Amino acid sequence: MAGAFYKQDMPPKGGYGPIDYKRMMPKRGPSGYVLFAGCIGVMAIGHVAFAYTNRQRKNRLYEQREAFFGIMPLLEAEWDRDTLKQLKHTQEQEAIIMKDVPDWVVGESVYHTKRWVRPRVEDLYFLANSKERREAMFGFNTFV
Amino acid sequence: MPNKIELPPEEEYSFPEVPLTSASLISAGHHLGRQCDKANKEFMLCKAEEEDPRKCLREGKEVSRCAFAFFNQIRENCAESFTEYWTCVDNSQHDLYKCRKQQGVFDKCAFDKLGWVRPEMGDLNQVTVVKTERPKPVLDADVPTPEKSPKPQIPEDLKAPRLGSKVFFFS
Repeated sequence: MAGAFYKQDMPPKGGYGPIDYKRMMPKRGPSGYVLFAGCIGVMAIGHVAFAYTNRQRKNRLYEQREAFFGIMPLLEAEWDRDTLKQLKHTQEQEAIIMKDVPDWVVGESVYHTKRWVRPRVEDLYFLANSKERREAMFGFNTFV
Repeated sequence: MPNKIELPPEEEYSFPEVPLTSASLISAGHHLGRQCDKANKEFMLCKAEEEDPRKCLREGKEVSRCAFAFFNQIRENCAESFTEYWTCVDNSQHDLYKCRKQQGVFDKCAFDKLGWVRPEMGDLNQVTVVKTERPKPVLDADVPTPEKSPKPQIPEDLKAPRLGSKVFFFS
């Protein structure tokens, strides 16, 4: 009796279509391979530029150093003469100061050797006035 | 055994300094190294062999004389271009590569009027063998060390101090 009034709901003929569960994103940007290739390319260019800059900087340093090599003997000769002048001045002052002390050896070396020992700046300028000494000791410092 | 520091007579080391600032010296460095090559190397060899500035004063004077002659030649021939060059170097933290234009002008002047060629890179810093007539020096032997004083004898009946070490008063 009841079977005549309703119809059983059934799938359409041939079944339902596939459910659209996949994520549908618009395709954009380069692919992974392209990104890899791009990264490698950028790094390669960077390395080449780095090497180029390093070489340039090294050449500049070489140039500076060679210019200094050219004038170094001149500077060294002048420094040597300056040192001897200062030593002579110091010995003269020492002879004046210590003239009353018996058995005093003027210009006595504090080192136990006959060879030349380069005197320290403090030893050269300990009788000069304070401004001169300060300039000799700290004159080339650029920091405070 | 006191060793007196002997100084040579004063006329051996009284020679004027080159009255120039650092920028002008460094900007003439390449040409100076090429032109005064012989005197420079003789002096540096003497300094390395003798290890004593008092024995190389003659060579040092030769170096200074050569530098004076060099800068006088520049002043007579290329004063303007050289002044421009070293002023530029002075104003750019002594970086020679920042003054290529002025350097080119100066080099051209030096080549035209004096025949000086700027040395190639790597020419000045090479190790060279110098032929010299100065005999090979014999360095002074060191003063023999005096005999050591004998060790103090520790008495055998030495007792430990009653209150411990005096160095650390709190222990």
